[in-house]
Amino acid sequence: MADTLIPPDVRARLRGLRLATRMPAGGDGLGQHSSRSRGAGLEFAQYRAYEPGDEPRRIDWKLYARSDRYFVREAERDSPLTAWIVLDATGSMAQRDRREAERDKLDAARTLAACTIELALQQGDRFGLVMAGDPLQVVPAGSGARQRDRCRLALAQRRSGGGWPSDAALRPLFERMAPGSLIVFLSDFFDAAAIDLATRLALARREVASLQLIASDEHDFPFHGSHRFVEQESGAERRVDADGVRADFLQRFAAARAQLAQRFASAGIRHAEHLLSEPADAPLRRLFDPRALAAGGAR
Amino acid sequence: MSPLLLAPLGLAALAAWLLPLLIHLVRRVELETTPFAALRWIGARVQPQRRLRFERPWLLLLRLLLLGLLALLLARLALETPPAAPSARVYVVPGADRDAAAAAFDVADAGWHWLAPGFPRLDEPAPTGPVAVASLLREADARLPAGATLRVVVPRRLGGLDGERVGVAHPLEWRVVDGESPAAAASPAEPVRVAVRHAPGDAGGPRYAEALVAAWNAREPGRYTLDVAPAGTPLDAGASWLFWLAPTRSTEVDDWIRRGGSAVLVTAGEDGDPLWRDATGRVAARERRIGAGRAIALPGAFTPEALPQLLDPAFPADLRAALAGPAPAPDRADASAVQPVPRTDAAAALAGIDRPVRTLDAWLALAIAAAALVERLVAVRRREDGA
Repeated sequence: MADTLIPPDVRARLRGLRLATRMPAGGDGLGQHSSRSRGAGLEFAQYRAYEPGDEPRRIDWKLYARSDRYFVREAERDSPLTAWIVLDATGSMAQRDRREAERDKLDAARTLAACTIELALQQGDRFGLVMAGDPLQVVPAGSGARQRDRCRLALAQRRSGGGWPSDAALRPLFERMAPGSLIVFLSDFFDAAAIDLATRLALARREVASLQLIASDEHDFPFHGSHRFVEQESGAERRVDADGVRADFLQRFAAARAQLAQRFASAGIRHAEHLLSEPADAPLRRLFDPRALAAGGAR
Repeated sequence: MSPLLLAPLGLAALAAWLLPLLIHLVRRVELETTPFAALRWIGARVQPQRRLRFERPWLLLLRLLLLGLLALLLARLALETPPAAPSARVYVVPGADRDAAAAAFDVADAGWHWLAPGFPRLDEPAPTGPVAVASLLREADARLPAGATLRVVVPRRLGGLDGERVGVAHPLEWRVVDGESPAAAASPAEPVRVAVRHAPGDAGGPRYAEALVAAWNAREPGRYTLDVAPAGTPLDAGASWLFWLAPTRSTEVDDWIRRGGSAVLVTAGEDGDPLWRDATGRVAARERRIGAGRAIALPGAFTPEALPQLLDPAFPADLRAALAGPAPAPDRADASAVQPVPRTDAAAALAGIDRPVRTLDAWLALAIAAAALVERLVAVRRREDGA
């Protein structure tokens, strides 16, 4: 069966990507992510004096030969990561381009979520899925191929609609998403509550990576003549002459995006924009580029 | 060669311009509905959404052009041909002395015309009979191009005048030479046949009629012949006056009057303008025009009891004058006394009268057909493009 969620070329390019956090993860078990826990591992961390109870095989015998003391060689233990995908499924995600009418923002978000799940699965990480909208839908974190299939089923069945859930409905998320877990936030961020949630999650020591989905129609505003623009969620409409408002809209929209990027940057959120016309791996590459990660980690 | 409109009201057809304007505007107002999530960044203050814009402006212009051409056709666009160089013209009133007239002005032969209907050249034979000089003077004045001088040679005894002093808009040169306008041939006393039709058995009426005719013949011997017959006898063609002394009359009599006869009717209740009144001011006779003829209605019978005037010695003369109709108005005067007066107010009025113009109807019709063709081509081609 052809994979409708992830195009083959995108899947091919996903191999080189890695989900990574800037903060060391603190979980237990063996994984690919650096953690605060010291112990047996590949990456050297420190020497410390031998204490009774340490395993004799962890004593660095070469150092003992030089210094006549017992030192235990400690390495950083790699730990597994829990990746949460928060997907905006509100009405505004039904926005689609006129040029490519059969694919809306939610479809693009589905593809991004599937790619992220695929990456997490490759790395052996746990992953979960939250779809915010009406209703709020949560696939609890888990790992393995069956968890992936559960998430993909939930993704495929999801339809956009409704507004952003209330704070009360979202509060359990803070309990589910442990500090230190990676949260990939897929939204158009047209809801102030969504921005708010991402910021609060980041301040509560979750590693948030946000992807803003932008339709080409919003990016270029290719309309002419008189138009009646209707917002999907509120039903508000505005009758304007498209040529007359284009410059103003583009300027204000760009300013709003820049403001969002700045706000996320100050909250320590990795942020990238995804144009619907570009392939799905491009924003992920920008978001999880090791160099960008290193630069961001220096804060 | 300046354009002018012969029927400027035709430009009211330009109101039809509203139609294509509306057609091209109304389609524009239809809004395209687009779902758009980023609505809040569309400026609400930039709302000149109904800017006056037209769809397919070239087609619109073409349609406006088509309607404009139609309006011009209705307004009868014409070109005023430039007036001929004001060649010197002299009008000679028939009756003026030819030799004296020729000496009056130093003008080439081609400029000489008779002041007669159609203004024939002077080398054509002189018109015979009277001409309406006053009317022809006004016409000649109106036909002259602006700036020309109206030169007229008139005989000393000028006829064909009317009640109004002639006014001319152009400068006038008025030369009086010897001569006399031809007058209407003075009609010699042509015989008049007087027909009398009376009710059968009525002997009184015809007797008075015979007496009247006898009275007229006493002044003009042998001019009036009498034809007395009872009503119903057909009127012969030569009869010009009629005494109808029967209380009722047939439509034949009316037809006869309508053809130009003069009749005395004794039927009561006829209407018409009062002709005579008696001593008490009561209307004694009424006169009425019927077609080309005239009817003189006397109330009551043609007897002295009903009509006391019948015994008046002046009655025959009065009745003859009434039957003969009004005498022609005097139309002759000394030429130097009736020289036309300049009328400055008429100059402007005459400016646009009867100038030679060339209508452009045929060319306009061609242009309209061409514009209609192009309009159809453009409209259909664009529709195919859109389909």
